Amino acid sequence: MSTQKFEFTPENLVLYKEYLTRYDDVQSALLPVLHLVQEQNHWISPEAIAYVSQLMTIPEIKIKEVISFYDMFYDEPVGRNVVHVCTNITCSMFGGREIYQGLLKHYKADYLKPCDNNRLSFQKMECLGACELAPCMRLNNDFVGNVDLNSAISKIDALP
Amino acid sequence: MTEENGLTDKEKANYKDYALLSYHHIPGVHNLEVFEKAGGYEMMKAAFLKDPEAIKEEVKNSGLRGRGGAGFPTGVKWGFFTKDRQAQKYLVCNADESEPGTFKDRYLVEKNPHILIEGMIISAWALGIQKGYIYIRGEFYHQAVTLEKAIKEAYAKNYLGKNILNKNFDFDLYVHRGAGAYICGEETGLISSLEGKKGQPKLKPPFPAIKGYRGLPTMVNNVESLAAVPWIMRFGADAYKKWGTEKSPGTKLFSISGDVNKPGVIEVPLGTTLKEIIEVHCGGMKDGHALKAVIPGGSSAPIFDAETSYAVKMDYEDVAAKGSMLGSGAIVVINDKRNMGDVLKWTLEFYHHESCGQCTPCREGTGWLEKVFKRRESGKGLVSDIDLLDKTAASMRGQTICALADAAAMPTQGMIKVFRRELEEYVSTPVKK
Repeated sequence: MSTQKFEFTPENLVLYKEYLTRYDDVQSALLPVLHLVQEQNHWISPEAIAYVSQLMTIPEIKIKEVISFYDMFYDEPVGRNVVHVCTNITCSMFGGREIYQGLLKHYKADYLKPCDNNRLSFQKMECLGACELAPCMRLNNDFVGNVDLNSAISKIDALP
Repeated sequence: MTEENGLTDKEKANYKDYALLSYHHIPGVHNLEVFEKAGGYEMMKAAFLKDPEAIKEEVKNSGLRGRGGAGFPTGVKWGFFTKDRQAQKYLVCNADESEPGTFKDRYLVEKNPHILIEGMIISAWALGIQKGYIYIRGEFYHQAVTLEKAIKEAYAKNYLGKNILNKNFDFDLYVHRGAGAYICGEETGLISSLEGKKGQPKLKPPFPAIKGYRGLPTMVNNVESLAAVPWIMRFGADAYKKWGTEKSPGTKLFSISGDVNKPGVIEVPLGTTLKEIIEVHCGGMKDGHALKAVIPGGSSAPIFDAETSYAVKMDYEDVAAKGSMLGSGAIVVINDKRNMGDVLKWTLEFYHHESCGQCTPCREGTGWLEKVFKRRESGKGLVSDIDLLDKTAASMRGQTICALADAAAMPTQGMIKVFRRELEEYVSTPVKK
C-alpha cells in the first residue's frame, strides 16, 4: 500500500471548489471529487481518503463504502491505463469474454492488478452502453468497438 | 438540394420524420450556433411566453410516456409535482442508461446535447424548477464533456443561469457523472448516488416528486422523454399523437444490437413491427442466419422466439400482451447458431453482480439463480435445476424495495417458458475442460 501523501494540485483544488458550488450540500459533490482524485492519482489511496474526509468533513467510512459500491472507483493501485472489456450479452455473443481472457493471458494479468510495469490494468465490465460496437472495450475514456483479440492487443500496446 | 430561408437540406431540421433525431443529420449540431440556426431553442423562447400550466397540459395531452423503461405518462408524473414555484426543488435527467442493450440516450446526446438542454429548460419553466442535474453514467465520459460544453454555451447566451432572457426565471444545470453501477438507473438509486452515497434505492412512497433529492421535490425524467418536449411544444400534442398507437403515441428510439447487418439507433413510430425494424431498418439478419429469438426491451425483458418476434408490434401494449415489455427499447437480436443457455448465464451473472445488496430476496436470490444455473461447471448440473431456477425466480418477485429482483426473475422465467428443453440440455451437459 502507498504511503504517498495525497493532496489536490492547485488546479484541482480550484476545480474542487467549483464542484462545491454546483450542489446545495457538500456530500453531493463526493462522486465528482472522487473522480477528480482518480484523474490525479489513478486510484484512491488511504491517504487520499483521509485527505477527502478532512476536506469535505465526511467520515472516512462513508467515503470507503461509496468507493467499494461503484465499479469505476479503485481503492487499490491500478495501472496507468485502465482497460474495460464488456462481458454483457451482446458483447459476449461476439467474443467479449474470450477477448478478456485472452488479454489476461497475453499480459499475464489478473482482474485490475497492475501489470506490464504498471502500464495496464484490465477490468471486465458489465454493459458499457455501446452494444452496436460489440465486442467493445474502453481504453481509459475512449470506446473502441468491433475488436478481436489481435486488434485489441495492438490498440493496447499503443497506449502510453 | 433545395434552399429555404438560406438553409440547405443538410442544415435544416427534419421535423416531419423525427421528433428526437430531427437535427441528427446536421454536421456540427452539437454547437449551439448550428443548432439554433436550424430552429433549436425557438421552443424555449416560445415557452417563456406561455403559461407553465398550459405547457404541462400539452405534454399530458401528447400522451408521452416515460422512455426510460417504465412507460409511465410524463404529463401525469408532472401532475404530481408541487405547483409552488417558489419552493426549492430539482429536475434530474436520468442519463444513466444502464439496462444492457441500451445505448439510445448516448447516441442522442453525443451528437445533439442541445435538444436535451432545451427540453430541460422548457420542463423546468413548466414545473417552476430552479436547479437541474443530468446524471450520466460514468462510462460516458466524452458524452459528459460534450454536455458540459453545450451547457457552457447555453449559459453564455443566458439560456441558463439567473434571470434567463429577462423572464425573471432562474435555472442552473449541471452534469453529474456516475461511476459504474446498474442500479443508479433506478430513480431512487440515482438520487442516493446524486447525494454522494451508495446508489441504493429507497422505498416508494414517498415518490421523488414529493420527497426526492435531499428530501425535496424532485422530478426525474429520462433523456428521451425530456428531449421530446421541444417537438411537442412546436407542433402540439395532436401532431405528436399522429405517430404511434392510441395508447402508445409518438416515436421511440430503439437501440438494436446482435445478429443484424446494421446495428444502431433508430427513431420510428411506436407500433412499428419488430419485423420491419429487423428486416428494413437493420438490413436483415447477419451472414444469412435465421432468427432464433429477440430480447425486445433490454436484458430485464422476457425473450421472444422467432415467431413471436416477427408478429409483435413495438408499442407498450402489444409487447406486454405477448408476454414481455418494451422497456427502454433495447432490442437484442439472436440467431439460430446461438445457445440460449449462454445468454441466460450472462444475464444471471450480470444481475448478481449488480444487486445493491440491501434486500435479502435480491442479494441472495440473484446469487442462487447464478449458482444453480452454473452448477454444470462443476459437473453437478441436473435437468431438475430448471424447475428449481423457475421456483427461485418466482419467489423473488415483488419482494424488494426496487425492481432489480424482478428484473432478474422475469427474463429467467421467460427464457424457461420459451426455451425449456434447450436449457435442460444445457444444465445437464458438463462443461468441457
